[in-house]
Amino acid sequence: MSEYAGIAVFFVLAAGIVAAMLILFSSLGTKNPTPEKMAPFECGVDPIALPTGKLTVRFYLVAILFILFDVELVFLYPWAVIYRDLGMLGLVEMGVFLGILVVGFVYAWDNGALEWK
Amino acid sequence: MSADMLVGLGLMVPELILIATALVLLLVARRVKGTQVPLALTVAGALSSAWFAGAASCAEAITGFGGMIVQDGYSQFFKVLIAMALLLGALLSVSSVKRDEIPRGEFHALLLLATAGMMISVSALDLLTLYLGLELTTLCSYVLVGIRVDRKSSNEAAIKYFLMGSFASAVLLMGISLIYGLTGSTEFTAIATALSGGAAQSGPLLGLAVGLVAAGLAFKVAAVPFHAWAPDAYEGAAAPVAAFMASGPKAAGLAALGRVSLVALGGASELLTTILLILAGASIVLGSVIALSQTNMKRLLAYSSIAHAGYALLGLGAGTSAGATATMTYAFFYVFMTLGAFGMVVALGKRGRNLDGYRGLAEQRPLAAACMLLFLLALTGIPLTAGFTAKFVVILAAVEAGHVALAVLAVLCSVVSAFVYMRVAVLMYMSPASESAPERFPVSVSAAIALAALVVLVGGILPGSLAPWAVFP
Repeated sequence: MSEYAGIAVFFVLAAGIVAAMLILFSSLGTKNPTPEKMAPFECGVDPIALPTGKLTVRFYLVAILFILFDVELVFLYPWAVIYRDLGMLGLVEMGVFLGILVVGFVYAWDNGALEWK
Repeated sequence: MSADMLVGLGLMVPELILIATALVLLLVARRVKGTQVPLALTVAGALSSAWFAGAASCAEAITGFGGMIVQDGYSQFFKVLIAMALLLGALLSVSSVKRDEIPRGEFHALLLLATAGMMISVSALDLLTLYLGLELTTLCSYVLVGIRVDRKSSNEAAIKYFLMGSFASAVLLMGISLIYGLTGSTEFTAIATALSGGAAQSGPLLGLAVGLVAAGLAFKVAAVPFHAWAPDAYEGAAAPVAAFMASGPKAAGLAALGRVSLVALGGASELLTTILLILAGASIVLGSVIALSQTNMKRLLAYSSIAHAGYALLGLGAGTSAGATATMTYAFFYVFMTLGAFGMVVALGKRGRNLDGYRGLAEQRPLAAACMLLFLLALTGIPLTAGFTAKFVVILAAVEAGHVALAVLAVLCSVVSAFVYMRVAVLMYMSPASESAPERFPVSVSAAIALAALVVLVGGILPGSLAPWAVFP
């Protein structure tokens, strides 16, 4: 455990310094607010909408399709690393796995998941 | 490597058939308009997988995929039973799929995949395979519950089921990880060896691990206090989906619980049987009593299914292979009784939803009323129906294990539940009809009900007919 003590000291020091600065600024600093100073500060004009904006719900389909390929890649990387050791069997296994995933993709495509209706 | 893989694939033929059928259905889903083609494919898949599962020789246990799955009499029994649940569930779904405009291909594909998951979980010999199978089943069940997307009640049920179900899955995984930490393995036999070795024999951590695994699995069979999802999910789901969920997944959950408690966690059996007996007692009492106040038929059957989960757990609570055999018998007959009763709810359509809809059914449709009466008698546990055989064996197992008080409680609650079921029978036979006669049942629905009624009758009159198969190896 003792080798982690340094990390703990680092975290405590970092948190302590940040907290000290915040407290000192807010207690010692002079405050002289004017309307200009209080105005929202983002690229110089008043924001008219939430900075992050709203996403259309249609993106959920894109997200689901992304997961399909994401999971595929998670399996493909380690498979590619030991591909030579697996040999023919590994190729067939990955073919079956990809085949099942492709069925899901074809289903989604077939049902218009890629059309932006 | 390759030979072991071929053996493993050979053991999984029933599952592979179901998965292949589901994939074909997904590919053609958009081009399927009628209900006939998907139904025919599902029925063919269910029958052939039942045949392959049943025809396999199970004289001795064969393991596959490096000890991940096993084929023995236990898995064979449950695989055939689960395939039968799929068959009846699919047959029952015809009219509901048409009426509610449920997407045909997807509905049947989900049924098939859920069934494949159940089969995987009953043949699992490793906690991770077990989890994988159960998770495949529940993921499909979430979608099946909410498949009527334009109905608010259906959406609500699916969300509730999903939230509680994923919580239970997390609990189960937590238990599995603790067991792995204590014993160094997720394989059932290795866990058993480690537990009997004494290194991890006792201690609060083992208690926590066993408790979490039991809780996660109790959720799948909807045993009190992990039952809250069942009435809502069944009520919001289409009636055939509720029928399927009350039968197949419950049998699979019982099978999983049986194998885990007898094979893997035998070393901690004292604690585990105590947990199972508490679950059983609470489920029997609460399920029977709360069912008294229900006016919605699906909710009534949901509470009835909770009580029946309790009765089935009595056998496992005995902690012996005789007890597990009793639970196998119970699961078998329960599946057909409950599919039959839900089948009548399906067949009566809108009228079957509330208890009042059953008024005067005997005058209008004597045969249908007689079938319903048979299922109600069986659910109560009246002799000459399979329900009596089932209750008899589990209560006998409880008595033999020395839990006489619990057996007395079970019998008393049986009397309470008689009032629940007979209320429906009285409405059917002794009150005048308030609604017009139901229209003709579709052929497949009638066939499913007839098959269930046949099993319930034969199981009651020849109680030993099942004995050669329902034996815990």
